[in-house]
Amino acid sequence: MVGIMPLDDVTVVDLTHYTAGPFATRILSDYGANVIKVERPITGDPARMLPPFYEDEPGLERSGLFLWLNTNKRSITIDLKKDEGRDLVLELVKNSQILVENFSPGTMDALGLSPTKLLEANPKLIITSLSNYGQTGPYRDYIGNELNLYGMGGSMIGAGNVDHEPLKTAGRMVNYHAGYVAALASALGLYTVEERNEQGDHIDVSIFETATHSIDMRLNRLMGYQYTGRLAGRQSQASAVGSGVHPCADGYFLITGGARFIPNIIKMIGMDELLDQEEWSTPEGRAHPDRIDEFLPHLIPWTLARTKEEIRKEAEKHAVLGGPMNTIEDLMNNEQFIDREYFQEIDHPETGPIKYPGYHFTLHRGEDQPMPDRNRAPLLGEHSEEILAEIGVSKSEIEKLKTKNVI
Amino acid sequence: MTTNNPTNPDDSLPLKGLRILDITVVWAGPYSTMQLADWGAEVIRIESTKYFAATTRGQMARPPQGVVDGGTSTGMGYAWREAGERPWNRHAIFNAHARNKLSMTVDLTKPEGQEVLERLVEKSDGLIENNLPQSMDKQGIGWDRLSKINPKLVMIRMPAFGLDGPYRNYRTWGNHMESISGHPLIRTYPDLSPEYAPAGVPADAAGGIGAALGMLMGRRYVRRTGKGLMIEAPTAENFVPLLGDFVMDYSMNGRLWNQMGNQHWYLAPHNVYRTQGEDAWVTIVCWDEDQWKSLCEIMRMDSLATDPRFKDNESRYENRKELDVIINEWSQDRQASWIMDKLQTAKVPSGIVMNERDATEDRHLHEREFFSSIEHPEAGTHKQVRTPFKSGNHENVGARRAAPTLGQDNEYVYKTVLGYSDDQYDEFERNGHIGTEFDPSIQ
Repeated sequence: MVGIMPLDDVTVVDLTHYTAGPFATRILSDYGANVIKVERPITGDPARMLPPFYEDEPGLERSGLFLWLNTNKRSITIDLKKDEGRDLVLELVKNSQILVENFSPGTMDALGLSPTKLLEANPKLIITSLSNYGQTGPYRDYIGNELNLYGMGGSMIGAGNVDHEPLKTAGRMVNYHAGYVAALASALGLYTVEERNEQGDHIDVSIFETATHSIDMRLNRLMGYQYTGRLAGRQSQASAVGSGVHPCADGYFLITGGARFIPNIIKMIGMDELLDQEEWSTPEGRAHPDRIDEFLPHLIPWTLARTKEEIRKEAEKHAVLGGPMNTIEDLMNNEQFIDREYFQEIDHPETGPIKYPGYHFTLHRGEDQPMPDRNRAPLLGEHSEEILAEIGVSKSEIEKLKTKNVI
Repeated sequence: MTTNNPTNPDDSLPLKGLRILDITVVWAGPYSTMQLADWGAEVIRIESTKYFAATTRGQMARPPQGVVDGGTSTGMGYAWREAGERPWNRHAIFNAHARNKLSMTVDLTKPEGQEVLERLVEKSDGLIENNLPQSMDKQGIGWDRLSKINPKLVMIRMPAFGLDGPYRNYRTWGNHMESISGHPLIRTYPDLSPEYAPAGVPADAAGGIGAALGMLMGRRYVRRTGKGLMIEAPTAENFVPLLGDFVMDYSMNGRLWNQMGNQHWYLAPHNVYRTQGEDAWVTIVCWDEDQWKSLCEIMRMDSLATDPRFKDNESRYENRKELDVIINEWSQDRQASWIMDKLQTAKVPSGIVMNERDATEDRHLHEREFFSSIEHPEAGTHKQVRTPFKSGNHENVGARRAAPTLGQDNEYVYKTVLGYSDDQYDEFERNGHIGTEFDPSIQ
């Protein structure tokens, strides 16, 4: 039984492209929203031509990036630069609750789709604008990409080793996180309209700010700096006794130690008698920087004699905070993720069945209502006619729009 | 629920009237209730004077000053670098995320503590927790029981790996969930051992945003169906999609990307470069030929633009190490902010790698009113961030009240919310439920 999903009566006009915006609307679609992805004719969302491609062969329907970011959505092609195209969007928003866009600031105004125009068409509409730096401010028109947005906003200065350069997070994480925030912002807007009976709203999400706001070491360090006057800088994982990425029999294992957790680690490696020694018996003693190097000759032979999984089991038993340094292959073969059937197989005409990342969270609606299977990403313009028919555009009008290259 | 939230006298905030119980620890859970509290929900942190959850109000309840002195500005970030009489009220991590929340104390190991919990659940719209499933079991906090007390409750559970499966009771932090998910091995240095891998917890950040979103969707589900909802949001499962590109490449092509550092999959230049000053860096990226030509021009290295080693992106990517050396030689004597502004004016993506001082003084954030100052009774006046996005209808929503001291809102919660009399309140106090200090036995 499909049952009710929280957003299954909500329509989202999705004018986003590339990565952060599609991530936002993907989450809304996961929880039931009817997402109408508006793409430019012929080429579509530029992410369709970004790697990785299935079997490394480029093609509009073969980008793994596009495929996983656009599950459950329907695609309509509209040329927004034509008047008829703009009018179609204004028609679409009349029957929608949310519009999400991630053009450069100013572009929507230039297209004749300013917040004023959109709210005229639908006064209850939530417009979520997602951009690199926000719709205002001195950096508004600066260019952004994953690397420089993390450097400016995130905790890059604190990521990595003190003797080496700062490191970015993997892949497109800063963009995706901002997309996640944009999904939250859209849901909050919807709540405000529905529960508080407010008018529609224009929400401004800046990727730079979502990174500066992030609990990933940034928010805390901004306060820690103000409290202590100290810049955090880069601290290796080995900045506390027992902490670090340690070599083991089949790779590496991450352990978090420090004054409070070191007794558990000491017990895990069977060195209980160490706690009887004076310098190891008190939290101050264990927090002394000299202990860091003193402890390694006890710990490393122990980890080297064991595999990642053996250490993980011991860590769990002794309440030691730690985890194996896995590859994506390890992850996809991990017993926990397999047991929970986390990765989802989705079929597609170009790729056949492929495993995708699973749901962010699971709604427990009842035994008879498991989380639904996702639909594959749409082919370019796959649903154009269907969507136009839904808003009452006649067959002959659709033909006219086609000949004028509007759709 | 109708609430009289003392942290939200402003009736216009969107989530006014929503009461959320907060049994969260460390970062991921607290970051979710921060979002809800900021927008006006009445978030009640359920704490205990008998139990100290490490890294929530500090790593230790009473860290000796020597430990504070040797620690970092994060783990041991105490106001004025002093733990003080009540260190749990002066810790940077807690005080950064707990603004606008309320704090009450109750001992859930005692039967009358469980009665308090039941009354709280009855009078609330939602509950968020991110604990080890077995510790919740021990305290009787589970969906079967709570949904009977309040059939319209939304409960968000954020275990590390899930409520079932072999890792159910495997205790980890965000950085370990990430190492299991493959993140640090992908992001660490190309030419150094993985022992140099950085720590980071974007998993916690995503978990916090996801749970806040889950609560809003849960409330919508309740409104439409008349039924409560339990949402399971394991931090690790919530995080893996942020590695979606890597999952897909492995899934489609069997390819693994490890130890990438700051390298892009295919673009060059794409790195961080040294600039004038101590630990000062700038990022530079080119994704098209115009940007590359502009970069060469600004570096006054016209010959570089015609150098066959760098003639197109493919060649630049192949020779990226040589290219990085050349750019570094140019950048190291220049100011990061000069490079950023100069390159950005020419439409080349570039940015300062901002430290905490740069961020708190940044002109763009200042103009967009990202920070505002608020006074904390035991930690002084400091800048707090506003919400991570701006609403046109509700301007500059941010810190209204500083993070609560332990048990600060006991009177409000016990008497106003739960309706206990003064005598009953005194009895709770005598029985060790109500307090403002952790038990002296806790280190």
